[in-house]
Amino acid sequence: MKFRKEKEEFNEGGIVLFKEVSHAIRGEKVVRGKGYEVKLVAPPPELRMGCDLALEINLVEQAGIERLLKNTKTPYVKVVPVKKETSELLEIVLITDFGEWIMAKAGNMKLTFAKESRRIVNISGGGCPDIPYLHAQLVGKTLAEAPRPRELGYTLCAMMLDRAFVRCLNI
Amino acid sequence: MLIAGTLPEGKMPLTIGEVSLTDTLLAAGGRTFGCTQGTGTMITAALTVTGYFGLKPPHVIVAGDMGDGKGTKEIYQHLPELIDKIKPRVLVLHYCLPVMAFLKRLCTSVRNLPDKPFMIADAGAMYAAKAAGLASDFDIFTPDPSEMAFLADPLATHPAYVSKHLFSGNIEEVPAQIAAAFMNKAAAKLLLVKGKIDHIAVSGKVLAIINSPDIPHLEPIGGTGDTITGLVSALIYAGLDPAHAAIIAAKTNRTAGLFALPTPATTAVQIIEQFPLVLGQYWQEWTSNQLIATLTAR
Repeated sequence: MKFRKEKEEFNEGGIVLFKEVSHAIRGEKVVRGKGYEVKLVAPPPELRMGCDLALEINLVEQAGIERLLKNTKTPYVKVVPVKKETSELLEIVLITDFGEWIMAKAGNMKLTFAKESRRIVNISGGGCPDIPYLHAQLVGKTLAEAPRPRELGYTLCAMMLDRAFVRCLNI
Repeated sequence: MLIAGTLPEGKMPLTIGEVSLTDTLLAAGGRTFGCTQGTGTMITAALTVTGYFGLKPPHVIVAGDMGDGKGTKEIYQHLPELIDKIKPRVLVLHYCLPVMAFLKRLCTSVRNLPDKPFMIADAGAMYAAKAAGLASDFDIFTPDPSEMAFLADPLATHPAYVSKHLFSGNIEEVPAQIAAAFMNKAAAKLLLVKGKIDHIAVSGKVLAIINSPDIPHLEPIGGTGDTITGLVSALIYAGLDPAHAAIIAAKTNRTAGLFALPTPATTAVQIIEQFPLVLGQYWQEWTSNQLIATLTAR
């Protein structure tokens, strides 16, 4: 039993909007060059913010693709879900006080640190493959010395973890 | 039983084989890998239970993936062939980059099998199954409350894009979210929602809730959801019916938390170490009809 090699319509839910066609073409080259599956498309009229060309992506890979565009100085307007009724990226961060520890929860991600040492003691939640890696990179470090999850991660889970991390920095 | 998932070890090639535990490392296909994160934690939990009952250890198909999807792609390319070869009774899909196209191809392959395996998904595989509209191909999902909100949101393709009104953190809203997800065909046949209160629902209706022992410090511990997925998978492999397996999985995890005296800095492996003690002490009591009658009479 093997996968059928058929051409499927790429539709993984995210779209990068650009101001100019040249930026979209450059974006496609940069992102595809790093192995991401992408497709140049016409943005839906309700999402159009600049030019008539946009880049369809797997929305889950938003963090890695945005970092790549920024690092290569490829101008883009923003990344949005294709379905216009979809809610915006969650911004709520909930805090739980465990006495000696504080847990910050953003979306499906939770980060917990010790109040006195400000050392990260645990990360839980999430389902994307960069989360176990981020757990290994962050746990045991203080909030001041730990890397930002968005600098190492590729996925929406990493973006949610970054929100929890930033909230902890401000506690 | 076959378990598929990624590992946070970028250079780990595709690895297939029967799994074993040596000291602090898992081993399969001539390679070793960590047991403290994600798929490794889930495999360790399942292996501990199969070991306790003297069952054949799980087969695994794993590959390193740091989030760029390379390991995920390798796993899903080889999974249909492996399923065809070893014909697992239970198939568990875990951490992976949620790529809907991969899940679509896999489910198409599995549907054509004469003996379809019992299908369990958690983590990235569950996200992809829901986003691709394939949730009803699965027998069990094991979401936490934030992931339950994601399943209940018909437009979200990832928990990060859940509607704010669904992301309240209010555990009392879980039964309504279960019903909504089932109505939208965004739920597996059985949902084991793991949280402060564990909900076990079949066909959109809550069959049992488990709220004791209440161990708040389990929530911040990374992997305590993965342990439940490993538990329920192994218990189904051991022959329990799905609802009974889900109830005992939830009870075992909580009681292991009680035995481990955890703090938020405890590791999931320290919880798993308690499983044999918990099963030794409570298995007979929990497999009596009394437990099922009590929990499902609510």
